[in-house]
Amino acid sequence: MNPPGSQSLGCCSRRHFLGAGTFGLGSTALAWMLQQDGLLAAPARPELEPQRYDLLPKPGHHPAQARAMISILMIGGPSQMDLFDPKPLLKEWEGRSFPGELKFDNAGQASSKVMPGLWEFQRHGQSGTELSSLLPHLAGVVDELCIIRSMRTGVNNHGQSLHALTNGRITHGAPVLGSWLGYGLGNESQDLPAFLTLTHPSGLPLLAEHNWSNGWLPSLYQGTVVRPTEPRLLNLDPPAHLRGLPQERQLELLRELNRGHRERHPGEHDLDARISSYELAARMQTAAKEATDIRSESPATLRLYGIDNDLTRDYGTRCLIARRLVERGVRFVQIINNGQSWDHHSNLYKALPEVCVRSDQPVAALVRDLKGRGLLDSTLVHWGGEMGRLPVIQNDGPKDKVGRDHNTYGFTMWLAGGGIRGGMTFGETDEWGHHAVKDIVSHHDYHATLLHLFGLDHQRLVYRRAGRELSLTDGKPARVVREILA
Amino acid sequence: MAPQPALPTPRPAWPTGTAWVWGTAALLTLGKSTLGFAAAPGGPLPARPVFERNIRPILKAKCFQCHGEEEKPKGGVDLRLRRFLTAPHATEPVVVPGRPDTSRLLEVVRSGEMPKAGKALTPDQVAVIERWIRQGAPTARPEPQTVPAVVITEEERQHWAFQPIRRPGVPRVRSTRQVRTPVDRFLLAPLESERLGFAPPASPEALIRRVTFDLTGLPPTPEEVAAFVADPSDEAYERVVDRLLASTAYGERWARHWLDVAGYADSNGGAEADSERPWAWRYRDYVIRALNSDKPFDVFITEQLAGDELVAQPGAGLEGEDLDRVIATGFLRMAPDPTGDGPADADLARNQVIADTLQIVSSSLLGLTVQCAQCHDHRYDPIPQSDYYRLRAVFEPAFDWKQWKPPGQRVLSLMPAADRAAAERIETEAKQIDAEATRLHDELIEKFVQKQLTLIPEADREPVMAARKTPAAKRTPDHLALLRKHPTFQDHIILGEIDRPGADKVEEIRKRATAKRAEKPADPQVACLVEEPGRNLQTVLFHRGDHQQPRGGVSPGLLTLHGLGGLTIDIPSTNAATRTTGRRLELARRLTDRSNPLTARVLVNRVWLHHFGSGLVGTPGDFGALGERPTHPELLDWLADAFIASGWRLKPLHRLLVTSAAYRQGTVNPSAQRRDPDNRLLGRARLRRLDAESLRDGLLAVSGRLDPRPFGPPVPVAINPHGQCVVGRQKRDGNGDAVGVDALGSDEFRRTVYVQVRRSTPVGVLETFDAPVVNPNCEVRALSTVAPQSLMFLNDAFILERSKDLAERLLREKPEDPTGRLVRLWLLLFSRPPSADELRRTEAYLVRQAIHLAPPSGGPVDPKAPPKPSPEAQALASLCQVLMGSNEFLYVD
Repeated sequence: MNPPGSQSLGCCSRRHFLGAGTFGLGSTALAWMLQQDGLLAAPARPELEPQRYDLLPKPGHHPAQARAMISILMIGGPSQMDLFDPKPLLKEWEGRSFPGELKFDNAGQASSKVMPGLWEFQRHGQSGTELSSLLPHLAGVVDELCIIRSMRTGVNNHGQSLHALTNGRITHGAPVLGSWLGYGLGNESQDLPAFLTLTHPSGLPLLAEHNWSNGWLPSLYQGTVVRPTEPRLLNLDPPAHLRGLPQERQLELLRELNRGHRERHPGEHDLDARISSYELAARMQTAAKEATDIRSESPATLRLYGIDNDLTRDYGTRCLIARRLVERGVRFVQIINNGQSWDHHSNLYKALPEVCVRSDQPVAALVRDLKGRGLLDSTLVHWGGEMGRLPVIQNDGPKDKVGRDHNTYGFTMWLAGGGIRGGMTFGETDEWGHHAVKDIVSHHDYHATLLHLFGLDHQRLVYRRAGRELSLTDGKPARVVREILA
Repeated sequence: MAPQPALPTPRPAWPTGTAWVWGTAALLTLGKSTLGFAAAPGGPLPARPVFERNIRPILKAKCFQCHGEEEKPKGGVDLRLRRFLTAPHATEPVVVPGRPDTSRLLEVVRSGEMPKAGKALTPDQVAVIERWIRQGAPTARPEPQTVPAVVITEEERQHWAFQPIRRPGVPRVRSTRQVRTPVDRFLLAPLESERLGFAPPASPEALIRRVTFDLTGLPPTPEEVAAFVADPSDEAYERVVDRLLASTAYGERWARHWLDVAGYADSNGGAEADSERPWAWRYRDYVIRALNSDKPFDVFITEQLAGDELVAQPGAGLEGEDLDRVIATGFLRMAPDPTGDGPADADLARNQVIADTLQIVSSSLLGLTVQCAQCHDHRYDPIPQSDYYRLRAVFEPAFDWKQWKPPGQRVLSLMPAADRAAAERIETEAKQIDAEATRLHDELIEKFVQKQLTLIPEADREPVMAARKTPAAKRTPDHLALLRKHPTFQDHIILGEIDRPGADKVEEIRKRATAKRAEKPADPQVACLVEEPGRNLQTVLFHRGDHQQPRGGVSPGLLTLHGLGGLTIDIPSTNAATRTTGRRLELARRLTDRSNPLTARVLVNRVWLHHFGSGLVGTPGDFGALGERPTHPELLDWLADAFIASGWRLKPLHRLLVTSAAYRQGTVNPSAQRRDPDNRLLGRARLRRLDAESLRDGLLAVSGRLDPRPFGPPVPVAINPHGQCVVGRQKRDGNGDAVGVDALGSDEFRRTVYVQVRRSTPVGVLETFDAPVVNPNCEVRALSTVAPQSLMFLNDAFILERSKDLAERLLREKPEDPTGRLVRLWLLLFSRPPSADELRRTEAYLVRQAIHLAPPSGGPVDPKAPPKPSPEAQALASLCQVLMGSNEFLYVD
């Protein structure tokens, strides 16, 4: 734990001081010094605190397994029966009419013809977990993964389902998981934001900034975008003519002026916070540049992530940056695809291998690398989209044209590390791979479980707004899926 | 001297010494937990708990939903009255007086078995229940024979905010020389009892900067500062105050405060589309004009709640006062509203709009959070669910969710008749083009279907077409089975995905219709709420807030708690004297009646909050049990009474407050700081950070860029290539995708209140500094101090441009006088000249910076390149940037 020491004084509000004052100055000073040394997290907020917010590390409700999370969001609906969820029955029924009800997004291309998985499945690792041949690299780390085959949001379309998985509602406007973690736990880095989103070079994802929205939480909990090209963080680079010494001179003068002003305003701790926020900003300019710059990584590491290969360079770079950020104490990192690039209504045969090949090696490298550095135990890795696909053909025709329509009633995602049991699959869809039927995991269960791993109780992590207590799980039934905990 | 202990706050002004206070405090603790971490105990347990004061509030918050409010209480256990608890029960008694060990109630709450939903009781709550049972489970008084429909206990009625406003006597104080207005006496009395007083007065420089930012949201000019410093007399100060209150900038500043609580936005929100709300700005302008003309606030409230009911014929041709009244109802159209953007569940969305509107009305005017009572009786305040629907019934005829008007249809056109005729002609033509497009679309789909037909067995062809042509609701099981077998004949076929060229052709035709419609003459409109006569929809209570579970009908009325002494206040369902039901007009009359305990208190508290940085009641949107108690209850009442007596006018109230000695004190008062570190007693002025608008407007003002033109359609915002929202016009490519931002000329430098408020894309510079999130409205702004704010000051384009502007301004105004430039810079930003030290230090900085910024000599010179600013000018700009980002600019003393 490494709290932002120079912020501590500033973030002790007047009320904190008042509370400490009853124990005499000695204990206030002691608390302050302990914060400096990272021995004491910020005290829980007193009850009638005016609305002020910070990113100081805070204790959770119970001991945490996970310290950081990397969420690899694969928006569009990765096809579970072609990747993670083998369904032999489909082979038997190939080409015959699906016997049950189906809900189509586009009837014009619909068919009820059953389509088996297009790629072979094989067992891998000690656990013997089955994966399709599209994920050869992931197969190498399969014993670290918990593959959940029974995800279900049950809402109709991409947007609603994506919101459900990011913010627990089916509309935008509420804070996403990363914001809740920053709000509940603060950040461990002195020099970096708590929540960073690495966007894809081909463009923003479906729902764009809603994927890293702080909703009605204060803006300090918003995700900061790490751009796919330099400058990777906005406002991080000084204008060319002020780079280096001139900006250092500016900061030096500013410090002097602010110090003079502070002396004329005894007891105004907000001013200290403001002064230290400049220190942090200055540090961030260096730290964030350093953290997002992979040139210091060894050639072996670059190769591991596939950065030497045109196809895997982008995901490789972003996965590697994600590891570097987590290593440096960032709480939540999101790696996002562009648009809804896993949305294979047609052309599945060609398009699915294309998206897989760009990410398979880098993602597997990330799990392997985290493990090798001893970071996997405390870093939760998530891979998944907002839906899966139907067991029938969409766009019937030549083999290279067919695809699959949406399915939010049963789909797959996986988790690894951070207190998750590796080498297991959890839950089942029906024999068609259509509806989740056993050990169904709703988006609320998923959120409750992740918060639990971070030491947070989803019912108690609340934000009061307009007389209501709001939470990520939105007061809906949600259970911690204990079966998948290590 | 030994350090004195700090005041025993945090609840200095609450009544103390009664068990009642404990009960309330415990509930407060329970509800206020910011992070939801374990709540601190509320204080010592009451020695002699009684049911009404100590037990019922806990049961109400935790248990009544299942054991009292339902028609049939769960398990037959009804907890509303003490005698129900002790009555013999099927299995075992819920409470056995004197015997905690055999009382089932204690067992289930202690084990966490109950409540089934929500959080368990705190150990303190369990302990007080145990003590109560041990002492024989007493009540304060005999319980009623029958359970009344609406249970509001005597204890709940006694809540401070529901008591009539009484003008208290002005307290006596010792240090009368610190008194300028009666307000000061109310503040000095509690200060003196702590052996404290006000801080020494602020300097004239600090005072004029404070009052100018406070009343106008802008810094004073150096000339204004100089004049006041030369004559800082009381009379001169009052002249400054009068000048500020008379300026347009006053309305622009104080309108923003009201727009926060009204939830003002130029977009509909609530859905992905976040479609534009093109005429909302007329309401914004109405608020600015109302404040500038000091429209009495009771009239202002009435017009916003019921302006349409004040107008004989709210139709085309309105002008003057009548037009304003209709515009004012825009207040009731501020809630997020996706009903025009194809919501998934239209009925749900409509009812949510009504619920959000009620939330805006109640938090802005009632100071209560009524929305909890939408689904069940309010857990903490005496607001039964039926009250919520009585209040809703007041608005029902105007909103009428069964005959709903989406946002696009609730406008009143101000278009002249001739223009209208022309527009109708064009619309007819456009509709013909639309029909052409629809025809082609349907033909192409049919062609596709026919082609599909050839792919299926002949025997199925005719039946499947019959099934396809049957409306969905009327299809037989055979039809459905066929459509399942041949899904390409189902209804939802997307042309673009089966026939791209065909879809393009349809799109071409639709574009012609759009182009045709663009020929229409301008149609100035007003977005408003106009009730239609004859609408008298029965309001019903929605079980658990679900509109699909209607229960009994309710009649319109105020909240029961408004009726002092236990009377309910009904609002007549119809009014023969008005064109419409007149319900909202009657509500407005009741809310602005001086007997109403809340309205005036809520309003003066908001005014106080903005002048002093913190309300007399710390929760301006919640005066209920979960809200904070007033720090100075008598002062709040005295001000509310004075406000009503002055005819509900704000400007005299501003004058009263800003001329007080309390307002004019400095920020430093060591003894007050030591004894009252939270500054609840106001023994010094609060140092306050500029809010988002004052910061942007202030930077525009000092850099000489501010374009003060008032009113009109919003200045647009756009997303720049970095994904940041900035002021500017969106540049789009042929596909309609955003590709950049076009500058707007001087419109770009208009005051922030005129900049478009898009709920989904707040302007970056404003959002970084805690601009309000209106969802549905904003009662109090958050205040953050974060690194992105500092990064913005260091590297953001907006700041760099303003620094350059300011440097150019200084060079223009003082071309030959480097020292004069610096003095001017200090006066512009800080309203004071620099000290000799500061001058010396800054001059040295400029010299060093200019040397570094000078281009390397001897290099090739490109004669075509635009002239670069000199190193001196760049150094000066870099200095301006430092000062703009310094605390002395960002904070107001």
